[in-house]
Amino acid sequence: MAQVEKKVGLLRRTSSSKRPLKEKVVLMYDDIFARDDPAVTNPRFWDELFLMKVNLEYLEAKLESLDGDEVLKIKENINSLFHHCIQALGEEHQIRVVNALQTLCALFRGVHQKNKSATGFDIINMLMGFDKAELRMKDLMESLDSLLCGDSSESLKSLCLKLLLCLVTVTDNISQNTILEYVMINSIFEAILQILSEVSSRSQHGYDAVVLLALLVNYRKYESVNPYIVKLSIVDDEPTLEGMGMVVHQALTEYNRQYKDKEEEHQGGFLSALSSMVGSMFVADADEKLSVQTNEAILLALYEAVHLNRNFITVLAQSHPEMDMAATSIDPVPTTPTTPLGTTPPMLDLMNSSELPLDPNLQTSNLLITFLKYSSIVMQDTKDEHRLNSARLCLIILTCIAEDQYADAFLHDDNMNFRVNLHRMPMRHRKKNAVGISPSRPLVCAVLDLMVEFIVTHMMKDFPMDLYMHCVQIIHKLICYQKKCRIRLHYTWRELWSALINLLKFFLSNETTLLTKHNIFHMALQVVNLFNMFITYGDTFLPTPNSYDELYYEIVRMHQVFDNLYCMVLRVSTNAGQWKEPASKVTHALINIRAIINHFSPKIESYAAVNHISQLSEDQVLEVVRSNYDTLTLKLQDGLDQFERYSEQPKEAAFFKELVRSISLNVRKNVSLNTLSQDLLLKEFSSIS
Amino acid sequence: MGDTEMELSPAHQQEALQKSPSASSLSLSTASSLSLPSSPSSGPQSPASPSISTSTSDGPPLTSSSSPSLDVITEGVGELTVVIDPEMAKLACQEVLQKVKFQKGELEVGLPQAAADTEMPTLANGAAIHIRDEPVSLTPAKPSTKAGEEVEPEQATPSGSGKNARRRQKQHNSSKQSWLLRLFESKLFDVSMAISYLYNSKEPGVQAYIGNRLFSFPYEDVDFYLPQLLIMYIHMDEDVGDAIKPYVVHRCRQSISFSLQCAWLLGAYSSDMHISTQRHSRGTKLRKIILSDELKPAGSRLRPPVPCPPPLAVLHHEHGLSPSKRTHQRSKSDATASISLSSNLKRTASNPKVEANQDEPVRLTPQREYIKSLMGIGKRLAALATKEQKTSRLISELSLLNHKLPARVWLPTAPFDHHVVRVPHTQAVVLNSKDKAPYLIYVEVLECENFETSNVPVRIPETRIRSTRSVENLPDCGITAEQRASCFYPVPNYDNDDEAWSVDDIGELQVELPEIHTNSCDNISQFSVDSITSQESKEPIFIAAGDIRRRLSEQLAHTPTTFRKDPEDPSAVALKEPWQEKVRRIREGSPYGHFPNWRLLSVIVKCGDDLRQELLAYQVLKQLQSIWEQEHVPLWIKPYKILVISSDSGMIEPVVNAVSIHQVKKQSQLSLLDYFLQEHGNYTTEAFLTAQRNFVQSCAGYCLICYLLQVKDRHNGNILLDSEGHIIHIDFGFILSSSPRNLGFETSAFKLTSEFVDVMGGLDGDMFNYYKMLMLQGLIAARKHMEKVVQIVEIMHQGSQLPCFHGSSTIRTLKERFHMSLTEEQLQVLVEQMVDGSMRSITTKLYDGFQYLTNGIM
Repeated sequence: MAQVEKKVGLLRRTSSSKRPLKEKVVLMYDDIFARDDPAVTNPRFWDELFLMKVNLEYLEAKLESLDGDEVLKIKENINSLFHHCIQALGEEHQIRVVNALQTLCALFRGVHQKNKSATGFDIINMLMGFDKAELRMKDLMESLDSLLCGDSSESLKSLCLKLLLCLVTVTDNISQNTILEYVMINSIFEAILQILSEVSSRSQHGYDAVVLLALLVNYRKYESVNPYIVKLSIVDDEPTLEGMGMVVHQALTEYNRQYKDKEEEHQGGFLSALSSMVGSMFVADADEKLSVQTNEAILLALYEAVHLNRNFITVLAQSHPEMDMAATSIDPVPTTPTTPLGTTPPMLDLMNSSELPLDPNLQTSNLLITFLKYSSIVMQDTKDEHRLNSARLCLIILTCIAEDQYADAFLHDDNMNFRVNLHRMPMRHRKKNAVGISPSRPLVCAVLDLMVEFIVTHMMKDFPMDLYMHCVQIIHKLICYQKKCRIRLHYTWRELWSALINLLKFFLSNETTLLTKHNIFHMALQVVNLFNMFITYGDTFLPTPNSYDELYYEIVRMHQVFDNLYCMVLRVSTNAGQWKEPASKVTHALINIRAIINHFSPKIESYAAVNHISQLSEDQVLEVVRSNYDTLTLKLQDGLDQFERYSEQPKEAAFFKELVRSISLNVRKNVSLNTLSQDLLLKEFSSIS
Repeated sequence: MGDTEMELSPAHQQEALQKSPSASSLSLSTASSLSLPSSPSSGPQSPASPSISTSTSDGPPLTSSSSPSLDVITEGVGELTVVIDPEMAKLACQEVLQKVKFQKGELEVGLPQAAADTEMPTLANGAAIHIRDEPVSLTPAKPSTKAGEEVEPEQATPSGSGKNARRRQKQHNSSKQSWLLRLFESKLFDVSMAISYLYNSKEPGVQAYIGNRLFSFPYEDVDFYLPQLLIMYIHMDEDVGDAIKPYVVHRCRQSISFSLQCAWLLGAYSSDMHISTQRHSRGTKLRKIILSDELKPAGSRLRPPVPCPPPLAVLHHEHGLSPSKRTHQRSKSDATASISLSSNLKRTASNPKVEANQDEPVRLTPQREYIKSLMGIGKRLAALATKEQKTSRLISELSLLNHKLPARVWLPTAPFDHHVVRVPHTQAVVLNSKDKAPYLIYVEVLECENFETSNVPVRIPETRIRSTRSVENLPDCGITAEQRASCFYPVPNYDNDDEAWSVDDIGELQVELPEIHTNSCDNISQFSVDSITSQESKEPIFIAAGDIRRRLSEQLAHTPTTFRKDPEDPSAVALKEPWQEKVRRIREGSPYGHFPNWRLLSVIVKCGDDLRQELLAYQVLKQLQSIWEQEHVPLWIKPYKILVISSDSGMIEPVVNAVSIHQVKKQSQLSLLDYFLQEHGNYTTEAFLTAQRNFVQSCAGYCLICYLLQVKDRHNGNILLDSEGHIIHIDFGFILSSSPRNLGFETSAFKLTSEFVDVMGGLDGDMFNYYKMLMLQGLIAARKHMEKVVQIVEIMHQGSQLPCFHGSSTIRTLKERFHMSLTEEQLQVLVEQMVDGSMRSITTKLYDGFQYLTNGIM
C-alpha cells in the first residue's frame, strides 16, 4: 500500500513538474497553426490527433485569435484538419468519430466568432477551400446522415445533432450562414424524420431534432427554395408526424408542469410568508417568471408544422394517453393459444401493468389541449419580450388552426369533449379560482374562452394591437366555420359579446393615445362586423332562439358604447385625414346595430312608461325585444363571412426573422453547455470501447 | 323412393317433427335395419365417421376393403365436402348406417349360434341390436297405414323414457322403422329435427348418421344450433361427441370465424365444469386443438394429395388450399418472423408476399388479439371512477387500437364478410352500468368477398382525410442536383401561402357543403354568395330581423330532436342520433369513406358479463320470430346477435336507432304517449298511427316472450324504444328460473304499464284489442311449434350452472307455459287474464313501493 502511495506521489510530482508543458493535443493544435504541414514531420499526425481528447476551448480560442492574414497563411492546414475530421467520421473507432465531431464543432464556431464581418464565402474558403467545399460538405452530411440513421451509440447521435445545431446557429441571422447552402443541397431531412418516427430515438433526440428542423426551415425562407420547407410540407407518414407532435407535446407539457409547480410553490410561499413583508412577494414574482422560460424554439417548430404541413393538423387532435406507442407494440407471446382458459395471457398483463397510472388529467390530453394551456400561461403576461413573442406565435398558430377545415371539424366535434383548464390571470375584480373546474366541452369552447380571456386582460396602455387583431380574427374564422357548417355551439356567447363591447369602450376612452400608434378603426370594424355576423346570420349558428334575443338585449343595454363609437367614427370620417377612410367604413358597418338601438330603445322606454317601472328587469326587456322584431328591418351587409387568410410573407416576416434570431442565440448558448456535459458522457463511453 | 314420401301431407310431417323426442325412441330399433339395402359400392369416396371405422377396424373384409384408415377418412371429409352435394351426403349417411349394421352383424356372429332372424337381446353398450332382413325395410308401406303407425309408438312412449320402452318398441312392425330413414331423408328433415334426434336418441348409429347428415345442411342453419351442438359435444356421452366432432372439425378447417366461434363457445360452456374435469374434458381438448391451429385448411397437413376428381383439384387451387403451398417454406418463415416481430394485429397488407402466406402461421391470431385488446380496454375502463373519465379514456385507447388497423379482423356479429379498417374512436361511448364498463364502439369496415382470402385493405393514414393537393400544388420537389446547386440564387418565392400548400379550406366549404347543409330556408347564405360576386352593382338588400329570429326557432324545431349531453349518461346522445345520419357523418370523416364497400357497424363490448344466457335468449327469440313469420302472425321482435367469447365476456350487436325508455323519459320529461306525439306527430297522422301499430306489434311480441321465458328485471332501462315506435327488450340476465334477488314479486306475467296502454290508445281502444288478439295468435303459433323452442332451452340445460336453470323444474314449467292442453278459447281467456293481471299490477304499484320500504330493499 505504502509503495503504491509513494508511486502515486511520485507520479504526481512529475506531472506537476511538467505543468508548464502543454497537453499533447494542444501541441498538435499548435502544429496545425504553424504554417507547415504537420504530416510532413509526423506521418501519423492525423491518426494520432483524433485519438486525443479534444480541447475545445483551446482550439476555439486559437482560431479566434488569428487575424485575417494569419488565417490565410494556415488555410491549408485548416482545410486539411477539416478534411481529416470528415474522414475520421467514417472510421470504425468511435473515439475518433467523437473527437472529430467535436473538433468540427470547434472549427465552425471558432471560425465564425473570429470572422463576424467576413462573408460566408470567405469562411467556406477558410474551412474547406472553395474548390473542395462542395465535396467536403457532401461527405460531412453523408457521414452525419449515416451516423444518425445507423445503429451507432446514442451519445454519438446526440453529438451529431449538437454539431448540426452548432453549425446552424453559428451566425445570429440564420440566413447569412452560407455553409447551410450545403446542408440544403445535402439534405439530412430524412435522418431527422427517422429520429422522430422511432420511439426510442425520439425520446432521446427528439427535442434537438425538432429544433434543428425548425431552424433549417427558416433558412432563407423568403428568398429561395428551401428544400426543408418543401419536404416538411409533404410529409404524410403518420408515425413521423405523431412523433413530432409528441416531442412538442412533451416539451409544452413540461413547461406547463413547471409553471404549475412554481405557481403552487409561490402560493404556498405566499401563505407561509404572510407575516413577512409584502415586498418580498414581488421579488418572488419576478423570479418565477424568469425561471420558467418559454420555449420559443419548440413553439416555432409547432408553427412550422401546422403552417406548412396539412397533415400535421390531425396530429393535434391525437390523444396521447400516458402509455406511449412503445407499450402497445410489445409482442404478444406467440404461445398464447395454449394458455388455459381463465388465466390472462402475458400480453394482457403487460398491458395492464403499463396502464395503471390512472391519472385522469394526464390521460386524455392531446397536443391541442396542451398547447391551449400553454398559451393561456404565456398570454397571462406579455410585458416580457420573450413572452410577448411567444404569445404572438401562439396566436398565429391558433390562426392557422382556425383556418383549417379539418381542425375546425374536430374543434367542433361534439363527441370530443374535454376539460381544458386554462390558466387565468389573477385580477382585482375577480377571484382567481372563481371559475372552478370547467365542464367538458368541445375544444372550440376552450379556444373561445382563451380569446375572451385575452381580450379582457390586455387592455393596457401599451396596447398589443396586432395580438388583438389575431385574436378577433380567430374568433371570426371560427364563427365563419360555424355559420357555413351550421354548427350550433352551446357556448355562452354573452361573455364574448361583453368582452368585445368592453374592447370598443377601451378604444373610445383611449382614442388619442391609441391613434398615435394604431389603426383602431380597422380593429373596431372587425369587432363591429363580428356583431353583424351574429345579427344577420345568427339563425345559422346560434344555439337557441333565446340567445338571439340576448344578443339584442346586450346591444341595447350597452347602446351608449355603440352610440359613442358612432359619434367618434362620424367625426373622424368627416374630417379629412389619414383615418377618414377606415373610419367611414366603421360608420357603414354600424348601420344595423344603430337600427337595433334606435328601434328598441323607444319601445323599451315606452314599455317602462306604460307599466310604470323605472328599472326593467332582463326578462322584461327580452319580452319587449321578442315582441318587436317584426317591425325592424336590417340591411344585409356584404362579405361578413369573408376573411383574409393568414399569410406569413409580408406581415409576419419581420417577426419571424427576429424570432429565429433570438432562438438561434438561445440554442447556441445552450448547445455549447451541453456539448461540454456531453464530453463527460463520452469519457465514460471511451473507457467502455 | 322419394316420390312416395312426398305423399305425406305437410301437416302430418309437422306433427312428426314436433314429436321428435318420442319419435326418437323409434330410431333405436330402426337404425340397424335401415340402411341394409344400400349398396356397399358407394364406399370408397364417401366420408365416414372415424369413430365407427375404429370400432370396425378388425371387422369383416367387406368393410375394410372399402374404407381407408381413420386419418385419411377425416381428411377426406375435409377435402371432399368443399363441394358438398346432397347426393354425396346421402351416400355418406347410408355408408355409416351400413357400417353400423356390419359392426353389429359382426358382434352377432361372434355370439354363438344366436343367428335367428328375429331381434337380439340388448348388448353391452345398451343398444338394441336388430338384424332384420334387408328387403323388408325398403318396401314402402301405404301412406294411410303409415300415418296411423307413426302416432302409435309415440303414444306408447310418453317422454322418451328408458330401455323397457325401447325394447317394447323394437317389437314393432319393421315398416315403421323404415319411416325414420324416410324422415331423415325427406326434405322436411331440417336442422332442428336433426338436433332433436341427436339429443334424444341414445342410439350410436342414429347419432352417427345425424352427425354425417349435418354436412348436408346449409351452414347458416347449422350455425344457429352451434351452441347446442357444442353443449352436446362437451356434456353428453362419447357417442354424441364422436358424431358431432367430424362436422365441427371440418367446419373449423374451412373457416377461421367458425373456428373461433367454436373455441369461444367451448371455453364458455366448459367453464361450469369442475376445474379438474374441465382440463381433461373433450371440450377443452377440442378447444386447444382449434386454438393451436392444428385445424388449418387441409392443404397444409401432411398427406400426399389423394387422387381426387379433377374439378375438386381445381377448386382447391382456387381456394389456395392446395398442398403445393407447402413449398413456400422460406417465404413462410419470413412471414412468421415479420409477424412475430410485432403485434399480430400488425397489418401486413403492404407486403403481398407476406399477405399471401399470412394465414398459415397466424390464422386465428389477429382476430384473437383484436378481441383481446377490446376486452382489455373494458377491464381497464372498469377501474375508472366517472363516466367522463371512462369515456375519454376509451377514446384514447381506441385511437391507439386504430394504429393497428386495418387487419384481418372482423366483427363476428356482422352478416357479411369484411375487414375492419378503422374504429372512429371519438364516436365510442361508455354505456350505463354500475360497476362494469360495457361500451359501444362503431367500426368502419370494408365489405369483401371472403375475409380469409381477400386482401386486407391497405392502411390509409388518418391524415389522408385532407386533400393531397398540397403535394400536387408544390413545385417539383424532386430537385435534381443541378437545380439544387442553383439554389444559391434567389428564385421565385414558393412560400406564397395562397397558391402553395395552404389551400383555402373554408373556401372549399362553400363548394362542398351546400347540398348537405343548406335547406330551403337558407336564403341568407345564398344572398351573401350572390352579393359577394356582384358587390357594387346591387341594390342594398333588406331583411327583417323577425325573419332571422323565426328561421332560427323554426330550424331548431325542425331538426330531429336530439338529446342533451349528460356526462352521467354519455350514450343517450350517441344512441339517439339516427343511424343513417351517423353513418353519413362518420363516412365523411373517414379516410376510407370513399370506398364503395365501406360499411359502418357497431358493437357493444361487454367485459365481465356472462352472455351465455343472452345467447340462449337470442336463440329462443330468433326461433319464435321465425315461427311467427311462418305462421304469419305479425308480431314484431328484434333478436340482437350475441357473441359469447368466454363465460364472462362477449359482444352484443346493438339495436340501432333505439334509446331506452328511461332515457326517453329522462331527456324529454314527457310521458311516453306525449313523446310519441312529439316524435311522430298528432294522433291522426299516418306517422303516428304507424308508430302506434309498431308499438303494439312489438309490445305483444315481447309480452309473449317475457311470459314464456319469464324475463324479469324489466325496468325502463332495459326496454328500448326505436325510432319507428317499436319497443325492444334487452338484457335477458334474468330468465326462466332466475329473478333478481329479493325481487321475486315481479309476479305479473309481463310488464304492461299504463303508459304502454296509453300509447296503444287506452283500454277500450281498437289497438288494445288488436294487441290482445296478436298475443293470442302468437301464443297459438308458438304452441304449435313448442318443441322447436323447448329443445333449444333443454339442450342448453346440459351441464349448465347458468342461473336460469336453477332448480329442477325449469324445462317442465317452460313447457307448461305453452299450455298444450288448453283449447283456443281457453287460451283466449288465459291471455285476457294475463293482460288483466299485468294491468292490475299497476294498481298495486303503491303497494310494491311499500314493500320496498318495509322489507328494507332498495
